[in-house]
Amino acid sequence: MSMRTTLKILLLIGIFINTSCEDLFDYSPYAIDFSDENRDINQRNIERLLNCKNDDTITIAFTGDTHRFFDETELFVSAVNKNPAIDFVIHVGDIADFGLPKQYLWGNSYLLKLNVPYFVVIGNHDLVGNGSQAYQEMFGDLNYSFIYTSIKFVYINTNSREFKFNGNVPDIKWLDNQLQPSIDFTKAVVIFHVPPTDSDFDASLKEAFQNSLAHYNNVLLTVHGHLHHHEIYKPFADSIPFVNVFGVEHLKYNSIKISNNQFEVETIEF
Amino acid sequence: MNFKIVGIITLLMLVAGVKTFGQVSQNYDSTRYKKFLPDYVKMQFAGGIGFISMGVGYTFFNQKLEVSYFYGYVPESVSTDDLHSVSLQLTAKLLRYKINPNIELMPLNFGWFIHHTFGSEYWIKLPDHYPAEYYWWSPGRNSGVFLGGEIKTKLLSNKTPASGTAFYVRAGSRGLYIASKFGNATIPLNDIIEFGFGVAVYR
Repeated sequence: MSMRTTLKILLLIGIFINTSCEDLFDYSPYAIDFSDENRDINQRNIERLLNCKNDDTITIAFTGDTHRFFDETELFVSAVNKNPAIDFVIHVGDIADFGLPKQYLWGNSYLLKLNVPYFVVIGNHDLVGNGSQAYQEMFGDLNYSFIYTSIKFVYINTNSREFKFNGNVPDIKWLDNQLQPSIDFTKAVVIFHVPPTDSDFDASLKEAFQNSLAHYNNVLLTVHGHLHHHEIYKPFADSIPFVNVFGVEHLKYNSIKISNNQFEVETIEF
Repeated sequence: MNFKIVGIITLLMLVAGVKTFGQVSQNYDSTRYKKFLPDYVKMQFAGGIGFISMGVGYTFFNQKLEVSYFYGYVPESVSTDDLHSVSLQLTAKLLRYKINPNIELMPLNFGWFIHHTFGSEYWIKLPDHYPAEYYWWSPGRNSGVFLGGEIKTKLLSNKTPASGTAFYVRAGSRGLYIASKFGNATIPLNDIIEFGFGVAVYR
């Protein structure tokens, strides 16, 4: 076999591989090459949600801290798919335990099977390595919001430690701006991963965060994860309730029903 | 960024590679000098250590063991950002069959590798802004294992100083993927396997 023939064969093999079985070959644990269904998830789900028929009651299923609990995540998805009351799902962060693009793909592969729209807020684990980039490619901006039936849902990155407590995370100005009253919404629900009472939250921004939440007196509740257990508490002197939702490994999820500017939390086993 | 280090290492590899073959043709007859030259150069596609990786290495124990050093590159065309990494590999060639005077088959190679990706976000030692043991793994350096096979031929041995050319395939996984699969029946096994193949030119 001459060298030229060998090179030709190698070239043909290369072309074959690049066109037919790209998924088989891995270039790096940090290579990000997501297919269309794994891109722009949050924005596409906002559009999906706004096209849904709605009534005055919103019921949201919460999960989070899915880390490497993939089988449990699948059980959560089938449990939610069996619950006709659920309007949409919110994942409170830590979908990728090591922040690996492949873990993002795995995590999302289960959520893609949900019958209802879903949203993911960024967690600290999701930011390790080039996780921030993977999140933005898959889900979108680290801070985002939408209004559904006159309730504003505000998702904010509170993983201060991952940004070396640089004073910009959480982005208080952005939060304040989001909560500024408008005719489009009556109440707001603020969702984040790390609660302000945690040592991973920038202590120098704790008061500003609290003030921002209380400023317009329109925050109905906040929901967070990071701690894996479930609790409803009021960490600050103002009356804003904080709901810490179950991590998926407990095989329980919290659903929150919002109607007439009031909310009700339920725990469902699966 | 450690691009400078990457550059220097790559340059050294190239120099070593060129010298490996150049020196024989120029009839340098210093065995002492020869001893330090790499025994082979490799070029690999995929396998988790780069889109294209270039490597050099040495054989030990009558070619039963190989130690290779790779520089791997992932271009922007197949990832959001280009990536530079290096890896060190140990390969044990457990079986060896001489098919005919020109072809040798090594159907069971077992290897271990450690892979380092360059960039400040791919840290090795937990940075100071974390409490001790906050994360147990390091994104910048992780290791894995692989199985492979190889066919060694006399290709290139006639007109060049090389003794032969080998073609190899490998399938491996790394600790971070194995840990992800652990306890999760719903993760497909082939999702954690990194396939790759390459060519080696021996001195």
